[in-house]
Amino acid sequence: MLNLLLSQYRKTTILFLVLILIAILEAFEVRTSIHGNTLPYFEWLKNSSWLGIIGTTYGSVYATVEAVHLISMAIIGGTVLVADLRLLGIILTDIPSETITRGTHKVFRNALIFAVASGIFCAAGVADKVYYMPVFWIKMLALIAGSCFVFLVKQPLLNTVPHDEIRPWTLRLLAVCSLLVWFTVAATGRWIGFS
Amino acid sequence: MINEMLLQFAHWMEAQPYSQMLVAGYFSYNWVEATHVLTLMLSIGSLFVIDLRMIGLILTEVPASKLAERLHKPMMIGFVIMFITGALLVYAKPVETIQSLWFRIKMILLVLAFINAWVFNARMKAADGTWDMDPVAPKALRTGAIISLLLWCGVVTLGRYIPYDWVDCVNTDNPTILWAAGCVDQLNAL
Repeated sequence: MLNLLLSQYRKTTILFLVLILIAILEAFEVRTSIHGNTLPYFEWLKNSSWLGIIGTTYGSVYATVEAVHLISMAIIGGTVLVADLRLLGIILTDIPSETITRGTHKVFRNALIFAVASGIFCAAGVADKVYYMPVFWIKMLALIAGSCFVFLVKQPLLNTVPHDEIRPWTLRLLAVCSLLVWFTVAATGRWIGFS
Repeated sequence: MINEMLLQFAHWMEAQPYSQMLVAGYFSYNWVEATHVLTLMLSIGSLFVIDLRMIGLILTEVPASKLAERLHKPMMIGFVIMFITGALLVYAKPVETIQSLWFRIKMILLVLAFINAWVFNARMKAADGTWDMDPVAPKALRTGAIISLLLWCGVVTLGRYIPYDWVDCVNTDNPTILWAAGCVDQLNAL
């Protein structure tokens, strides 16, 4: 049983263990104690790191990187929509879903790298503020959850099994989860600007 | 002359009760702005997928014209929502927005992007389907796609610049910028 889990569902097992670990950490209030200790790093990020210094000194650079972040998010949105609407059977139904999910993933991955890199720069410029924003932490959790979901669950499943061998409801569930998690990442990111 | 007319129009809009209601309500304005930005993922996201397909960077195994045709509807839904929410944002802060240099350049880029989209569509319809399964589209369509990507990146970037006040009427005394931004009072005071 254990051998089967580790060989056939290695990534899913890892994800499951990570979720269990998070639940344990939450139950023992480890996150709360860690959160308090990270404030000096956030202050350093804004006041002493070169990312924070550039972000706070040059407003035009900061705004341009914000635009890069938005464009990356738009590309993530586009690729996620095309792939997930295909899995839901709404668009491009006459093209195999394998072709669509495989074809969009590379661009999604590159856009995610740009979004994370530009996001770190943007957060560095206002690190002492975002530290106190619950919505920032919700976004980080959603981002981690979304990335784990894509790289440990969705892609391994879609890339290893022909899609007509996967139950249609499983495919739909994957698509709905993916749409919801990336919408949460984008919406919470927007809300950081209002907080 | 045109700047004076635009400013008058902006003052008239600002005096409207719904404009004041929209800007006064913290959540109403934020919801409109959030919807405007989030719809980027639907409108520009779909558009970028089409453009990237034309230059051979995504979904090269999918017929290009079919992809463009099928993504047209979600893309247009996104653009309609974006324009409605964009108009509401201008309506909420008309004077500030109409006197923003970035907003004005953004509008010019938007017009150029739509002309480019119109030419691109016409070229795609005129082209025979022999290239449809090629990894990259013919040169004319490829050029249109690259121009589209650049123009929309410009639109997003300038949209991001609008809240910043580097070249606001009160922060510059450069006559060219004041004229381009429509800072009528500041120009008259020079």
